[in-house]
Amino acid sequence: MGERAAAASLKFVTVQANSASLAEARARVFEFFKTTCRSIPTVMEIYNLQDVVNESQLRSAVSSEIRRHAHITNPKVIDMLLQKGTEELHNIVQHSKQRHHIIGQYVVGQRGLVHDLGTKDEGTSDFLKNFYRSNYF
Amino acid sequence: MASITRASVSMPSLSASVNQSQRRISGMNSVSFPVSGRSMIPSLRLQRGLQVCCAAKQETVDKVVAIVKKQLALPADAAVTGESKFAALGADSLDTVEIVMGLEEEFDITVEEESAQSITTVQEAADMIEKLVEK
Repeated sequence: MGERAAAASLKFVTVQANSASLAEARARVFEFFKTTCRSIPTVMEIYNLQDVVNESQLRSAVSSEIRRHAHITNPKVIDMLLQKGTEELHNIVQHSKQRHHIIGQYVVGQRGLVHDLGTKDEGTSDFLKNFYRSNYF
Repeated sequence: MASITRASVSMPSLSASVNQSQRRISGMNSVSFPVSGRSMIPSLRLQRGLQVCCAAKQETVDKVVAIVKKQLALPADAAVTGESKFAALGADSLDTVEIVMGLEEEFDITVEEESAQSITTVQEAADMIEKLVEK
């Protein structure tokens, strides 16, 4: 586990990504995903998430975030998304966030805050649920 | 003397036996090694073969299969064997990377970029894990 965290921590020099082609952007996405997965043990230790979630659930939360943008083909947009993702990962690993941020954003996730809320919100319309999820539906 | 150097380029350990037989078969331009040297070759080939194509242990393959099934959300009785390709089971490229990450976590190894891209079947993943765990 120590060598995996060391392998991930070297990548925190944020370089402006200028992908020449979609293939290069795709390779960068996989590199980012691997760096994130290798930082997951560190994150769990920093925020004491051992009882709340396990590593594979966090990994699938990360991959579903990446998959939400899987339909994009413009390399510049992909670079921008990667930059935002790297910034978010950097904030999390440097302990700039707090435990409830991580739990709310990645453990409970996008759907949990609306759908699992108990009986009073079960009758809300699909319009509202879609609206909470994203701007475009 | 020139013919001896030609034959003994790639196998310096065989130079003694090659010397003796070249004196007997002098003048022959053969590429293949003389008979006396052939007994040493199979053992060298076997040593190299052990590193590359030894089969992974069954429990390693079983663990890999379990991780693949969980990642791709396959039912427990789905037919996943050593020869199943990830793409045939319904995994896209991100799923393949995630499976490799799951294997990294399970076996506490780190897979390099080049090795990760060459994995397409369950058996290849298990073999690579065995190689990395041995180190």
